[in-house]
Amino acid sequence: MSNMTEIKRQKAKGKGQKFSTLFSPSALTTTAQAVLRRAACFTFAFCFLPFAFCLNQTSAQSRTALPILFWSQSIETAASLKQAGIERIAVTPSSVAAWRSAGFDAIALSEAELTKREKLLTPKLAGRGANVASATRRPWIDANGWRLLRNPSGKFFYDLMGAALGKSVLAAAEAFAYQADAVIKLDASELAAFGEMLKLLRTLPNEPQTNVADIGVIDDGSPLVGEVMNLFTRRNLMFQPTKAPLKQARLNIKLGTKAYPESAAADPSEFALRIRRELGDEHRSLRVYGAEIVICRLTSDGKTARLHLLNYSGREVDSLRISVRGRYDIVAMQTSEYGKQTPADLSLTSDATEFSLPRLGAYGWIELKHLH
Amino acid sequence: MKRRKFVKLLASTPLVSSLTAENSLAETTPHIVTTPHVEPARVVPKFKIATPFKPAAVPGMPGPYPGRVISVKAQNSLSEDGLKFNDEVIREMMERGMRALTGEKQTIDAWRRFIKPDDVVGIKVNAGGRPWVVSSPPIVAETVRNLMAVGVKPSNIYVYERFQDQMDSINYAQYLPPEVVITTAERQNRSIDNGGYDPLVYAEADLFGEDDTRSCMTQFVSRTLTKIINIPNMKDHGATGATGCLKNIAYGSFSNVARTHYKGVSHTYSFVGTLAAIEPLRSRTVLQIMDGLRGVWHLGPFAETLKYVFFPRTIQFGTDPVAIDRLLLDTIDDERKRHGAISIWNRDEKTLDFNNGKRRDEDPNTNIIIREPGHVEYAGKLGLGVHELEKIRVEEIVL
Repeated sequence: MSNMTEIKRQKAKGKGQKFSTLFSPSALTTTAQAVLRRAACFTFAFCFLPFAFCLNQTSAQSRTALPILFWSQSIETAASLKQAGIERIAVTPSSVAAWRSAGFDAIALSEAELTKREKLLTPKLAGRGANVASATRRPWIDANGWRLLRNPSGKFFYDLMGAALGKSVLAAAEAFAYQADAVIKLDASELAAFGEMLKLLRTLPNEPQTNVADIGVIDDGSPLVGEVMNLFTRRNLMFQPTKAPLKQARLNIKLGTKAYPESAAADPSEFALRIRRELGDEHRSLRVYGAEIVICRLTSDGKTARLHLLNYSGREVDSLRISVRGRYDIVAMQTSEYGKQTPADLSLTSDATEFSLPRLGAYGWIELKHLH
Repeated sequence: MKRRKFVKLLASTPLVSSLTAENSLAETTPHIVTTPHVEPARVVPKFKIATPFKPAAVPGMPGPYPGRVISVKAQNSLSEDGLKFNDEVIREMMERGMRALTGEKQTIDAWRRFIKPDDVVGIKVNAGGRPWVVSSPPIVAETVRNLMAVGVKPSNIYVYERFQDQMDSINYAQYLPPEVVITTAERQNRSIDNGGYDPLVYAEADLFGEDDTRSCMTQFVSRTLTKIINIPNMKDHGATGATGCLKNIAYGSFSNVARTHYKGVSHTYSFVGTLAAIEPLRSRTVLQIMDGLRGVWHLGPFAETLKYVFFPRTIQFGTDPVAIDRLLLDTIDDERKRHGAISIWNRDEKTLDFNNGKRRDEDPNTNIIIREPGHVEYAGKLGLGVHELEKIRVEEIVL
């Protein structure tokens, strides 16, 4: 990973995990598993990431990050959940016992607790369609990656009631890619798609890795910085929210400074372009060609890198070209609708690995092994 | 050198060298260019060109006849109202044009100058001006007929365009033998169908801050075809001034090209020629047949209405796309003048209303982009042909 700047997520608020956190719907692993994961991560970090910026592993990272279904319907609907392959659910406290008796891994979550969680956008392409995507008419995307990166220990909530069919697939993929503690509320008509997605996600390795970032964004928690991060995510500019400048980042951005006055970010889109050009496309850890509606997350543990591809267009992307800085073997490629894929037109140069993903539906997952 | 290091080098060398050979990258440096017509000084973007292909000994463009254009005009090539083709007259125009271009007495020998029986031939049509100004089916059919006469198998003839929805609306199949392949690179213009493009042959440039900075060549051009015949139309174009041979072959053979226009500004000036010059497109495009039976003098490249359609009733032949397009600039500009419309060379910002396509549709004196007819001269400077009018030799034939 010599060409990448790898930065671990921010330290979670408070060092210790609270009892309630461990047994919240999000705590999908046992405490022992979490400890083991944490130890494993440190081993990777110190053995294989000599240049990485490693902080304490957070509780948010120490879980498998499968989103959980919030289900408020009666126990009579159990069959439809089972048919969809959904076994873990969050239900109202009064119905926990009944659901457990029916064989579900049910966790108590009241409506009040649900609404206390940070509500996320329904992930989608907003406004213009993909058929007019171009530099002149860049499509707008409702994506949540930046929120999830900004608050890795946060608790999130997707309300997909009434959303277009298939949105749960993208929401589940988003939560998985960013290892977010997310609860999803959806219509019964969406159960099959959601269940199918969970089935895929369960098979994909997703142990904690460090976030690959070219840019450190000094985050004061303001909406303006949030919007800047939103645009960075949108443009696949790999960044890490941080409280202090990151030594390993090629660029550190702090709004309100002489170099980056707040006024410079008044148009976040223009600001993102400025930062991209300051960084230089040739120095970016990741480039994507062939679609402007795919948002990526790249993580690494020094030995392997993992790329999550989130396609917000609602349509298949045919032959997406990907360039990752560094030399890699492509170990595996999986997609939500088209299953296992084989990389096409592989090109390995001295400092980059390029390949094509033949077909991408809503979600793609790629594992790369670093060639030392 | 330590043994371990030596072994490492040995192991890595074949891979690295083969990749270098397959992916030659050339970069052009930004420079300022001026044209003699008007004032502008333009910044040409820095292009990175990737292609594993080397040019042919005599690249198809400008080919064996630089600066030479055969122009065949026949009043009765179309019905009086211009809406119907006269197939027999068009066939004669084709024969006369090809013989005049090559100096051959027999039409078949003229075609043999460009095509061999074992070639896999692409016919780059233009379907964007549907329904009125597209590559005319009788010209395409006559081209196919001659290719087959040379000995090319119909299954080795590809009639191609970028977008399937445009091709489907013309339905060339009804005019051609069933074995002829009619193919496109994308279903429609929506920027997510990339499977028809070659990711190893591309031009890369950050033009306006777009995320996707690459334009890739269609795979059947880079991996299937051995020769290409270009059949463009005489069309006005809101960004390039006019679109003919160069833009049809360049923008019609690469992905992600609409990114060259943004808020009234266009990089077509340099991008059209840059794409056309990329191998193997440049070497394989061996013949230009400019379909000027009909033309469009405003609102191009589209021609959904007859309002701006005119009828030159002409077909031009050559191997030099620059020379033909240089003539085209005058053809379109003259027609616009006849209708009292502003020149394609007009760069007055008062005429620019870049966010108002509706006004442009109704008013030929409105531009939505500052046009770049200088793209023809730029292509000439890249070696694709002759752009100086005084050096272009036109032979006119009137039937």
